[in-house]
Amino acid sequence: MKFVRILVVELLLSWHSCALAAEGTPTHGSNESSVRHELAQAILSQGRQQQTLLTELADSGSKVASDVLNAWTRDGVYLYSAPDGSKIPVLLEEAQDAEGKSRALRVDTGQYLQGPGGKDLRFDQSELTTADTDMRLRSAIQQTLDSLELAAVDPASRWSAAMKLGNSQKPRYIPTLEARLGKEKDRSVRKALREGVALLQLGNTDLQVQITAVRQLEQLKAIGSLDNLRAVLAKPGCPPQLAVATKQAIHSIDEHIRWVNFFGTIFHGLSLGSVLLVVALGLAITFGLMGIINMAHGEMIAVGAYACYVVQNLFGTGFGFSITLPFSFAGRALSFGMHLPGLNATGALYESYFLFALPLSFISAALAGLFIERTVIRFLYRRPLESLLATWGISLVMQQCFRMVFGANNVQVNSPLWLLGHFSVNDVSFGYNRVFVIGFAAVIVVATWLLLTRTPLGLLIRAVMQNRAMASCLGVRTSRINMLTFAFGSGLAGLAGAFLSQIGNVGPSLGQTYIVDSFMTVVLGGVGSIAGTVWSALGIGTSDQVLQQTTGSPVTGKIVVLVAIIVFLQWKPGGLFSTRGRTLD
Amino acid sequence: MKKYLVSLLLGALALAAVPLSRADTIKVGVLHSLSGTMAISETSLRDSLLFAFDEINKAGGIKVGDKTYMIEPVIVDGASNWPLFAEKAKQLLEEDKVAVVFGCWTSVSRKSVLPVFEKDNGLLFYPVQYEGEELSKDIFYTAEAVNQQATPAVDYLLAQGKKKFYLIGTDYVYPQTTNLILYKYLLLHGISLENIGGGLRKDDSGKVISAGKYTPFGHTDYQQIVAEIKQFAASGDACVINTINGDSNVPFFKEVAAAGLTPADCPVVSFSLAEDELRALPTKDLVGELGCWTYFMSLNTPENKSFLHRWNTWLKTEDHPGVVKEKRAMDSPMVLSYDGVYLWKEAVEKAGTFDVDKVRDTLESGEVSFDGPGGKITVNKNHHATKNVYIGETRANGQFKIVKSFDQVPGEPFLLKGLDEKVAAMNK
Repeated sequence: MKFVRILVVELLLSWHSCALAAEGTPTHGSNESSVRHELAQAILSQGRQQQTLLTELADSGSKVASDVLNAWTRDGVYLYSAPDGSKIPVLLEEAQDAEGKSRALRVDTGQYLQGPGGKDLRFDQSELTTADTDMRLRSAIQQTLDSLELAAVDPASRWSAAMKLGNSQKPRYIPTLEARLGKEKDRSVRKALREGVALLQLGNTDLQVQITAVRQLEQLKAIGSLDNLRAVLAKPGCPPQLAVATKQAIHSIDEHIRWVNFFGTIFHGLSLGSVLLVVALGLAITFGLMGIINMAHGEMIAVGAYACYVVQNLFGTGFGFSITLPFSFAGRALSFGMHLPGLNATGALYESYFLFALPLSFISAALAGLFIERTVIRFLYRRPLESLLATWGISLVMQQCFRMVFGANNVQVNSPLWLLGHFSVNDVSFGYNRVFVIGFAAVIVVATWLLLTRTPLGLLIRAVMQNRAMASCLGVRTSRINMLTFAFGSGLAGLAGAFLSQIGNVGPSLGQTYIVDSFMTVVLGGVGSIAGTVWSALGIGTSDQVLQQTTGSPVTGKIVVLVAIIVFLQWKPGGLFSTRGRTLD
Repeated sequence: MKKYLVSLLLGALALAAVPLSRADTIKVGVLHSLSGTMAISETSLRDSLLFAFDEINKAGGIKVGDKTYMIEPVIVDGASNWPLFAEKAKQLLEEDKVAVVFGCWTSVSRKSVLPVFEKDNGLLFYPVQYEGEELSKDIFYTAEAVNQQATPAVDYLLAQGKKKFYLIGTDYVYPQTTNLILYKYLLLHGISLENIGGGLRKDDSGKVISAGKYTPFGHTDYQQIVAEIKQFAASGDACVINTINGDSNVPFFKEVAAAGLTPADCPVVSFSLAEDELRALPTKDLVGELGCWTYFMSLNTPENKSFLHRWNTWLKTEDHPGVVKEKRAMDSPMVLSYDGVYLWKEAVEKAGTFDVDKVRDTLESGEVSFDGPGGKITVNKNHHATKNVYIGETRANGQFKIVKSFDQVPGEPFLLKGLDEKVAAMNK
């Protein structure tokens, strides 16, 4: 509980500091023309002079400088040979005219390059020579860029710049980092800057400075500095005083890593458990409650994932397909297809596609389930083994349909920006998509539970599932309830598919990957018990990750978990929460 | 009934016509999986082979002595089933009596047909990057050897100042062997043991038998591994060498992107992801990650441009059954299949016969070469080829931007032994 509280506090702090981050960034403008001049000179000069100019530029903190230097390393700076024989460095505009030519921006003035008569000159890339860079020059430019980046607006780039300079082993960066530390307000960047300074000071010849640096690193619990600390110890003739301090620092950082791994593993376990839970919850209803051995559950997941893909394309450039059947009818090849135009949305609207995809994946999978229930499954309620064969056949048919409509290859589903990335608390990193799945699992479990226990429909569902004949005698329209329950279970599988599209593959065999895991989760939890499915999913997820962490191999962990489940089911065949009743239909 | 008679008559006519046309056709085998798990990759190779055959036939066929022969492909389906590959190879060599076979993708399929080719004295051209440590008199490897893909990539990363290497792959022969070679190669280049990530496995005598982290085919959960890579990379100057095969790359790269490991801080270089595979991957998450092949579709040479133009025209006009016409990419295994056909043609024309022994001798002479889309490719005495190697950065459009090229690197199949000796010498 305490950890949770710390988490929340740290979270609030880091958000707070994000808001402040924009301040304390140097402002530029007045010296732009001199920066531009120096840039042009740097591009044209060579050797030592070039180095000096680059170092001077590093202190300017100018945005223009970083843009031009970035373009330079990517072969984006060109040299224009003026009629008088001098060379003028230029950048080409992105916008091109009909002939594929674009206007040239002079690096030294920021104006368009003009020919005689004041007309803007236009060039094709091949008409100009590229301002060449070699590896050494690029690394010099990179260092300049790093110093410039220390002053970037985005805290993440400031952080990575600070880390890079800290690891450069060039003590001349210490003043740069310290100067930045005076202005920096973001907590994580401050930490990175302190770490960077300490790392650079490790290379100092003064013993006292070195010891202070080691203590500082210990205090900061800098995981990244472990290698450097070990290197200090390994160096022959390491003074005993320093060795003692270093050993202690390594020890306490190792301890820190253990805690990071501990909480990281628990989080990974929770998220894997949530994935399992989301995947298995639909099956807990169709198999657990209704007793249908539903081998097509995996394909319901795939329906949801493909629905997500279609929605994504509708928000983008549109979606279309055409099918030619491999046989002909009355001498004519059978083919059909359709094309839906896209919204061509960009920005926030495009990023929000996933929010629309979620309900649509539920609805499309539920409709698919409804169709299957009406056409096949309703005839098999009393014959579970035949339902196994029939649903397996359905799953094969559906896979082939996916191949025909979407192709045999996997399709691309891009994650919306707000699901990419992560935040870290005390070096434990929490991926947004993983946090999302935990919340998502919680929401759908609660919703399912509310539906089953707090609504009239839920009452009817439970009644029908417990004793179909009795419920029917009491006037419940069991066939309607069966249909709705199966559709609901399938819809939940569709939701799972929408989520899985964010962390893995979307392809025709997507369902096959998860069907075994789903059955395992439901059987272990106890057929017929939703609560059992929850506990078993979280249990399997966490133990899998813990074992993976301790054995260091992703396979061993899985094997151990499977063996443990088999042994457990020998001891308790009903699963964790076995439903007891006099009759089960 | 009348229809039946007509078709019978036509059939008889066709049979009668066979001896006439057989005089100037030569049968050539194509042995790829056209169904099963490998079909996605291998059908592309069949297509590029068909393209090469059509192109040669259109240009007048193969000239042997004063006769010209048209290529007649015999296409068989290995069905992603390794024993079946051996049976089909036997059928091609003993029943169809083909002059040469182009085929195989996985190393295990190659190993399974190898005894058949050695017994029947066949000729096989193998086009897909592989782990080396093999040399059969009956196989010519136009494929990238480890020193034409993995070690140049490591050279590039070392030159970029990378000091820590994390090895990860799918658990089978290619990644295991490649990583073992790279592990020794890195030691030789002054990278210390603790800076090679992923873990080591030793046998009882303490000899390292496996380096790197391995996941099974189809693995989906990379949380722990990426967390480990993140700690490994925390001290900077790190990179990841990825030999994960197939669709496990999607969850792996999604996890890498979510963990905030950017190519600027910790690039991932992948050996099993070419343009064809990138079509199915979320390339937006992969921008800036590295690849290393002997051909890239984005190669800006007149040969490549003309090749791609001819390929696209062929796609529009060809009428072979089962060739997908839309959204096609070109990549290194496809180009090396294509190159193989031309190298064989060149050798046959030089030898003046289809006889396997004479063609092999000509190929081994080191004088058979072809100006392919990826640059000049020459067959060497060791049955491997000399060709250009390129390193590219992935772009959002699923293409590579070439950042470095190595000219005319000769393929070398046996690296482990030499490296073992060098490492031993270094430790003395």
